[in-house]
Amino acid sequence: MRRTLLVAIFPVLPVLLAGMLALGPPVLNGAGSDQSVAIIVNPSNPVENCSFEDLRKIFMGEKSHWPNGRRITLVMLDPAQPERKVVLREIYNMSEKDLNNHFIQGVFTGGVLAPPKTLASAAEVRKFVFNVPGAIGYVKGTDVDPSVKILRIDGRLPDDKDYRLRVQAHSGKP
Amino acid sequence: MRFSVWPLISTRKLGTTVLGLLLGFLVVPAMLCAEDAAPDSDKETIRALLHRVDQLEARVAQLEAQQKPAPQAPGQAPASAPTHAPAPIASELAPEQEPGGGMEQRMDTRTLMQIRGFGDMTFHGSDAHGTHTAFSLGQLNLFVTSDISEKFRLLSEIVFEADPTNSVGVDVERLLLQYSLNDYFNLAVGRYHTDIGFYNTAYHHSAWLQTAVGRPLLFQFEDNGGILPIHNVGASLSGAIPSGRLGLHYVAEVGNGRASSSPSAEPVQNVVDENNGKAVNFALFARPNAVRGLQVGFSAYHDSLHPVGIPTIGENIYDAYAVLQRPSFEWLNEALLIRHAVKGGHVFDTPGFYSQVSKAFGPYRPYFRYQYVNESPQEPMFPFVGLQHGPSVGLRYDATEAVALKLQYDRTMFRQEPSVNGVQLQFAFTF
Repeated sequence: MRRTLLVAIFPVLPVLLAGMLALGPPVLNGAGSDQSVAIIVNPSNPVENCSFEDLRKIFMGEKSHWPNGRRITLVMLDPAQPERKVVLREIYNMSEKDLNNHFIQGVFTGGVLAPPKTLASAAEVRKFVFNVPGAIGYVKGTDVDPSVKILRIDGRLPDDKDYRLRVQAHSGKP
Repeated sequence: MRFSVWPLISTRKLGTTVLGLLLGFLVVPAMLCAEDAAPDSDKETIRALLHRVDQLEARVAQLEAQQKPAPQAPGQAPASAPTHAPAPIASELAPEQEPGGGMEQRMDTRTLMQIRGFGDMTFHGSDAHGTHTAFSLGQLNLFVTSDISEKFRLLSEIVFEADPTNSVGVDVERLLLQYSLNDYFNLAVGRYHTDIGFYNTAYHHSAWLQTAVGRPLLFQFEDNGGILPIHNVGASLSGAIPSGRLGLHYVAEVGNGRASSSPSAEPVQNVVDENNGKAVNFALFARPNAVRGLQVGFSAYHDSLHPVGIPTIGENIYDAYAVLQRPSFEWLNEALLIRHAVKGGHVFDTPGFYSQVSKAFGPYRPYFRYQYVNESPQEPMFPFVGLQHGPSVGLRYDATEAVALKLQYDRTMFRQEPSVNGVQLQFAFTF
């Protein structure tokens, strides 16, 4: 009987394995679906939640320090990546050119302490945020791992229904 | 006597050995090939598992670091990152001492020195009597910033500029050591642009950043006949005021003020001051959350001027503005009053304003500016400005993200002189 059961399960195993691989790595730390963009900070950062307006000020460089006095270091992904397009559309409401001009002028006037760092991949962004206590960046929800902390935006996590930062696959917007 | 190995191996054993070798030749390469051509799914699995191992090792290392904070002596190299933690990025390797030492990580994000350049060249002509068309070198501005530490930063503008005698000189237009404690307290010492109104601290010495060819008459630089103390040497305190959605900010400045003893004196008192009195300036502005790009504010400046042969003059400058700046639209409105009160004598008021509007259509940005300044003929400090007002119409074309071409027509009217019409074509760039 036991042998019969094993023989019956055996052909199903590859199918199960293929299905698991297709599903990808396990979702960690409350990360959202692959359509959401998570705002991540260093785990030592005491801030858990941030209003969308404050997030916009942080990304614009208008807010340059965390409440504990540590300087904010913004890190962004390279242009043309879908997560960056979401950030440009939802947070900045700007094109790449406008963003570039904004930071040139901001640094020039002294109103912005530093332009964002730009990195090529989610892994590099995670490493940077892990290593810099005042860093803030963004990655896809599925790219979050325990080395970083997800910041709630208006009390919402990337999994939540009304979370604003989502990749719109067929959007013609920037 | 003949010797042979063959007799040592029986015929049966020989057959078995040959068969084994053959199988070996056939099977081993096949296995190697099979290893090389392992299914992609296996590779993905291995990669995913390795990634997962990396993640878990990083997490373990982080937890270990949190449990064992290692205080460091000042000047000592900080604790290295956990062995399996994500490696610092190559270009950012130098570690930075964290106050209190311990678990927190250790990447230096300072930019030791960064230089951005701005420049411009203009071809201009007008129907003013005695003038000629000319190609003019504009300012070559090297804007240098450096993060000295997390709290200290250096900012400077070094400008190479030709004067009306065609000789080129160098000016340190801004040189500031900034200390940034938090969003509410930022102290800067050095030479700065006085925070009078909006325009003076929004554009500084860059034609490329400005929509129009030049600055409004009110905000002309001192060495171009400007009537404001554009530059000052001293200390400036600025920051946000906790005000919720109103977005209030303050600026308080104290400095040497401008030179006044002689019209030929260098207007900015870089090293010595003519007197012990200091110029003070206070500005307040709001950037309300409700309207993106809106900024409204005012400033008040006070100084005492001591021209030779004239009693002391109290100088007060009041400015109020409302600007709306969005990537494709701008509307700048600013009004200003300069009041010179001669001790025991008259008070001379010089009002002025400008309004500028522009809208971008792709790389094209047409703009319009109207400006006005009206100085009393008896004004003791600037008797030659008088009344000047008129429109400017122009088109800016951004050829690339770093090069702009501007074509501008100006008509300027005076109190008792004929109007002047002028055209300017400017190439402005950043690099």
